[in-house]
Amino acid sequence: MLLHLLKIDLKKLTSYRTFWVVCGLYFITIGFSTASGWEFLKWAVSLVEGFGQKVNIDRIPLYHFPDVWLNLVWWSGFFKVLLGIMTVISITNEYTYRTLRQNVIDGLSRWEFLLTKILTNFLLSLLSVVLIFFIALITGFIYTPEINWSYVFTDLEFYPAYLLEVFSFLSYALMLGILIQRSGLTIILLLLSYLLEFIIKTNIDDYAPWILPFFPMESISALIKMPLYRYAFQEIQDYVDPLSVAVAFAWMVAFNYFSYLKLKRSDL
Amino acid sequence: MKTVLSIKGLTKDYGRLRAVNQLDLEVQQGQVFGMLGPNGSGKTTTLGMLMGVTNPTAGEFTWFGETPTHTLRKKIGAVLEHPIFYPYLSGQKNLELNAMVKECPADNIPKVLDLVELSGRKDDKYKTYSLGMKQRLAIASALLNEPTVLILDEPTNGLDPMGIAEIRELTKKIAASGKTIILASHLLDEVQKVCTHFAVLKKSNLIHSGPVDDVGRGAETVEVQADVANLSELLMDFSGTASINRENGYFQVTLRDEFHGKDLNRFLFDKGVVANHLVTKKKSLEKMFLEILSEH
Repeated sequence: MLLHLLKIDLKKLTSYRTFWVVCGLYFITIGFSTASGWEFLKWAVSLVEGFGQKVNIDRIPLYHFPDVWLNLVWWSGFFKVLLGIMTVISITNEYTYRTLRQNVIDGLSRWEFLLTKILTNFLLSLLSVVLIFFIALITGFIYTPEINWSYVFTDLEFYPAYLLEVFSFLSYALMLGILIQRSGLTIILLLLSYLLEFIIKTNIDDYAPWILPFFPMESISALIKMPLYRYAFQEIQDYVDPLSVAVAFAWMVAFNYFSYLKLKRSDL
Repeated sequence: MKTVLSIKGLTKDYGRLRAVNQLDLEVQQGQVFGMLGPNGSGKTTTLGMLMGVTNPTAGEFTWFGETPTHTLRKKIGAVLEHPIFYPYLSGQKNLELNAMVKECPADNIPKVLDLVELSGRKDDKYKTYSLGMKQRLAIASALLNEPTVLILDEPTNGLDPMGIAEIRELTKKIAASGKTIILASHLLDEVQKVCTHFAVLKKSNLIHSGPVDDVGRGAETVEVQADVANLSELLMDFSGTASINRENGYFQVTLRDEFHGKDLNRFLFDKGVVANHLVTKKKSLEKMFLEILSEH
């Protein structure tokens, strides 16, 4: 049944050129940028060396097991915005073409309709995870000087966390689309979300700092923290914080539930 | 006869505006049910509630005697307002998608495309279709799941005379196959030709409902013309005459109940007058519709 619903949404998307363009850009960008980080670093260093500086990049184990796992998911996490835009286009199209109305007339329940979108979101999140996992696996084997099998399988918990990160964000994009229904405005708000939340956070930072981890965007980005400090300060958070997981998961459920409430109550 | 649709006290408010007020209606199996009413009288809102896209404020309705669910809607074919499809998909792919949503086999697609004469354009994108083709595709999609009930809301809206004729033929063809049809339309002529029953809505209230056959009942009007100078006086002498009007050189004689055209004909003949022109006119639905509207 779930598969049937997923197929309905994929049927709509796979003949839609914008879908291929946006998703193509996304997967190519995260694929190439994660795979070629080392080459990029070498190029950047060669520039610096042109000015007479000597940098020993071999000390930076960017692609060594187990660092590679965390580095790559952290980096590709930035590009989830592209997928979010695709989600927004997909749902707001249903409003502009009024096809949501026709889908319900034809016999989908409102919940089933929402599920078709949620399932596509999940599929796209899962594809991101799988792609990055294989790129990390391959580049790890290429660049790690000595393979130590216990390191190879260390830090893998970042992958479920990455799945939650992308899926929560897409759930958020879907909810925005259902609430606003216009693609342009929704995309602008989606892009501004981090900034708006940042402004609010800095304003209440002095009064109630304990509340900060509970903000939606904060909790989603706290799942996978910036790992590059480790090469400067030798200390980073190299585990997934259970609080972030709990908060992000709760937001993910809430986003989809709000979408459902809004869909259920509105006249289509 | 089985009741297909039963509506009790259905009401919809948009803020302070009441779009549909306490609607009670029954549609039986095999009826071709016409919903008439001026623009904004609540027809589309009613159909929207019946198809689960508009949440009713109060009241209830049953399809086939069951409380409505989305599964039940899969047995109904409906086109509300204008046709709605994905513009970037071809007609064929739009129908394939519809078949998936309705959970019916896709084998019917060639058949319904043939019926609406769109087979030749099925692989073109929907956005390249003319309005008439879009309307026809909508009817094709409504027929896809071989529904026992078909809802058509203004199926000829915005079409040219050719398109209107095409859709009318199609509706007749479908009606002849024994399906229950609920047809909302402005075209009274069309409703009179196709429908067996009709209801009239005005300003969100149901003001009339009954069989179309009843329209012709009641006082008859006979149109007469004869080459005699005193025809007017002769007609006044006829005991069955209620009133006389002169229009376009013809006398329009409204008869009292129990009198018919043949009585007038016999009367004239007995008086030694042979009419050149004598036509019994049935009251048209249009006339009745306007009468009903002005009474309320």
